[in-house]
Formats: sequence, C-alpha cells, structure tokens
Amino acid sequence: MAEEPRPEYIKVTYTKSRPYRWAAGKYLSKLYTEMRDNKKLVANRCQHCKELLWPPQMVCGRCKARAGEDWVELSDKGTVVQYTYVNFPLWDPHEGRPVKEEHPHATILLDNGIYWVTRLEEKDKEKLKVGMRVQAVWREEGRGRGLDEDILYFRTIEQ
Amino acid sequence: MANRVAIVGIGQTYHKSKRPDVSQPEMVNEAVRAALADAQLSMKDIESVFLSNMETFEGVYLPDLWMADEAGSFMKPGFKIASGGTSGAVVVEEAFHFVASGLFRTALVIGFEKQDAGDTTAAITASTTLAWGKGMARGAIHEFAKQALSYIRQSGAREEHAAMVRLKADRGACRNPYAHLKLGLKSVEEILQSEPLEWPLRLYDFCPQSCGACALILASEEETRRITNKPVWIADCITIHQETFRAGAFCDLTGREPYSQQVAATKLYKRNGITNPRRDIDMAEVYEPSDWEEMLLYELFYLCEKNEGWRLVEKGITEIEGEFPVNPSGGVLATNPIGATPTIRVAEAALQIRGDAGEHQVTRDVKTAFATALGGPNWTTMILLKRSL
Repeated sequence: MAEEPRPEYIKVTYTKSRPYRWAAGKYLSKLYTEMRDNKKLVANRCQHCKELLWPPQMVCGRCKARAGEDWVELSDKGTVVQYTYVNFPLWDPHEGRPVKEEHPHATILLDNGIYWVTRLEEKDKEKLKVGMRVQAVWREEGRGRGLDEDILYFRTIEQ
Repeated sequence: MANRVAIVGIGQTYHKSKRPDVSQPEMVNEAVRAALADAQLSMKDIESVFLSNMETFEGVYLPDLWMADEAGSFMKPGFKIASGGTSGAVVVEEAFHFVASGLFRTALVIGFEKQDAGDTTAAITASTTLAWGKGMARGAIHEFAKQALSYIRQSGAREEHAAMVRLKADRGACRNPYAHLKLGLKSVEEILQSEPLEWPLRLYDFCPQSCGACALILASEEETRRITNKPVWIADCITIHQETFRAGAFCDLTGREPYSQQVAATKLYKRNGITNPRRDIDMAEVYEPSDWEEMLLYELFYLCEKNEGWRLVEKGITEIEGEFPVNPSGGVLATNPIGATPTIRVAEAALQIRGDAGEHQVTRDVKTAFATALGGPNWTTMILLKRSL
C-alpha cells in the first residue's frame, strides 16, 4: 500500500518592535527626579495608617484612601533578605533583544523598613549571603529613569 | 436565590510543547468538539460562549477575533477573560454568574494557549510597566524562585520535599492520557540533579509551556436534568485580588499581609459550612507552578497547619491513594497551557466527582472537590464542586 504523503505545515514568523511611552505619573516622577538630581530615595507615608508606600503611590491599598504627600527620605543602605541568580536565557520584551543579566537579583530590606527587589554588584555566588549589608551605587549623571538607570546595583559594605 | 448551575460537558485536547499541525483556532475546535461530544450536544444547544486566553502571549491582542467559527461564538453573546494565570478559572466563574442569574441556560467555556507561538517568559516579563519594575522582572520563574526561598526559610522544608511533590505529579501525569510531561521520574535524586533554572529552582521543579485547550459546558438546573444524569454542580466560586507590589509577589516577606488564598478559602469555606476542609472536602486540583508552591498552597487552603505543608508530602496524604489527594492529574507541573491551565483544574476535579478520571481516578470516593487558580496579578480563584447540592 502506498504511504500517505505527510502534509506540510507552514510556520509564519515575525519579530516585532514597537515604540512605547509610559507616563510615570505624579508620584513616581517625584521619586525619579529626586534620584536623578539629588541621588536620594523618597517614599510617601500614608496619612491614615502611616505606612511607607513603595513604590510611592496615590492610594493606600490598606486604607483604600488617598495616601497624601508626606514625603520621607529613605536610606540607600539595606540588608539582603534573599537573592537568586538566573541560569536560563532571557528575552527583553520591551527592547526586543536578549537580556544579558550578570548581576544576582536580591530582595533587600532598606533601613527604613521597605522591601525592594534590586541588583547586587557581587557576582561571586560564594560571597552572597542572606543578611549581608549593601548600599546603592548611583550613576554619576542621573537619567531620571529610576532603578534601572540611576542606581546601578547595591554594593556589599562592612557595617 | 440564584439558579443552580452544573458542568454537563468536559473536553480537552492532548497537550504538547509544539503543535505545528494545527492553528490556534483549529486547536480550540478540538476541545470544543470533545466537550460537545461528552455532553451529547451540538453548538445549536449552546447559548453563550466565554473564552480564556492570555492575549499577547502569542503576540496578538485579539486572538478571539480569529476563531469565532471554531469556538462556536459566531452570532452568540459572551466575552474573553485575560487575567493572567487565573484566566481559565475566572472564565468559569463568569459563565457560572451568567447561568446562575438566569440570563443564559447554557454556556460554553473555553481556555486555550498555544505557547509554541512565542516566548511566554518574555510575555510575562512584559507585565511590568515601563515606568516601574522594568529590568527586574524575569517571568514567572523569578517570582517562584523567591517563593521557594521564603518557604525554605519559614517552614524548614528541604529540597527533597519539593522533589517528592514533583514525583507525585509525574506519577499522576503518567496515568493521565491528556498530560503533557510524562517523564517516568523514579527518584528524588533525578530531580535534584536536573539543570538549574534560577536558584533554588531546577528544571523539574517548574511547570512547562504547553499547547492545549480545555472546554466545559455549563447548564442551568432545568437544562442539566435534560442533558445528563451525571452532573457536577458548581456550589460556589470566589476570586480575591492581591496585586503584587505590596507583599513582594508570591511570598510575604513582611509577615503582615494576608494571602489572597487564605482570604478566598476563609470566605468560601464559611459560605458553604466547611469547618474542616480536610474532612469536609475529598480532593483538590490546585494551581501549582512549582513543587515548592504546592506545599505552601496546602497551608494557605488550610489543609494543614502553617509551615507543615511538607509534612503532608512526607506522609503521602496528597497522593492518588491518599487521604486528601491533590492534583492526581499531574497538575500544572506536568501540563501548562496557561489560558487553559485553571480550566483543566476544574475539568479534572469534575472528572473525579463523576468517577470518570480513568487511570488517575483517586482511591477515595469524591463527592466534594475544589479547584483553584493563581494569577499574574496574584489573584486567587477557588471553585467548589459537588456531586449533589
């Protein structure tokens, strides 16, 4: 019996790149200008429950109310709570190119009590420790784009 | 009082990493036909159609635009849900609301995802806004790596426990004809030696990317009596929001935040007179993107005390033959077509109640079961199913 010919399945491929412009809004803009111009981290404190909001934002979700603009300067020092490093290839969906991430990511607790997921300078896995003290390394010329641009990573410090 | 609603038809495709032989609409049609055949109905009997898919994972914004014919929705009411990982359960909840309200007598629910079309981790990474978080997101894997680190620290669970959950999932998947990964895993060591993804997650600790679809047919009580003598009643549904910024994603580092799972379970159990879920419910199909997450979910759904999820694994409580089976289908660890993943949880729990799960039918008799979903925006959806109301 003649073998049935195997149908050919066509695959249509394309790679897209689209430009986007996101408004950071009033609250993030305040943080980003402080980072760019003064190398400072700031957050707003909810006028009702007194919690610091991170990232800064208009509404406190706990109180379901307008948080207000009681701006507080945060320390740029903190303690590593946990860290991970990545072993699989990543694609940046916003830039449309592969990501080369050499730095471990870590959740750190800033000295003002805020948890933040950020990068560590230290690439040697053997030297990573929960509880290690770190401080932000700021870019010389601020760009006003927040974490990705104005703080390069957090550096291990002694105290 | 709302009308009673039952699941009267269940259908799913087989699941694979790649389906070059079908387009997305053709794949959806396979599940629709399977559900209609199961209910012994035709599209003429279906009043409304509800879809679940994470649009943009496959690169287009309106995939439903191109499958009205194959989904059966042409000239019918209904809509599509896209709420990350919960989509496929929220869509069941929404169809339930419409049928319970009396607006429709029948509804077809379809979850689908064809992940061979694109890079899902990149798509999930794009859920951060350009204004905040860009560069720090690395898809779902990153979130569940952090969850695993927190769980290790808080509960004292070891990597061996996560591997035991993975083994359980694979044993189920190997008995489930529709499951995607059937690895035939034999030992804990095999899992601990799989390649690292992101510390502390390894390849086998995490769910795959699958192509597949799952369809359910919901009907009002009156229609149900006409259609089947084996209905699975939807007793209740709940969705609770918890967007990710606050507590640090799928784990709570602050120790001050309630989990959406706990809030959902507390409300659902209270509304349904469930005081001891291990006793009052017979099994569950939960949404566990990683083996570590499954152990945490046991705790958050109050199947055990806090920090003791890994003890249920040690004791074999959640095995197919166990006292409270969880994910006998192999779960998300084996099969993960995202828009369909939670729909499959509901379908598999319903099959257990019907006694139609075949090789992976659990040992104990299942009269009551729940299915859950967990989503990108850290929502929790729970659906409570019963053999009789």
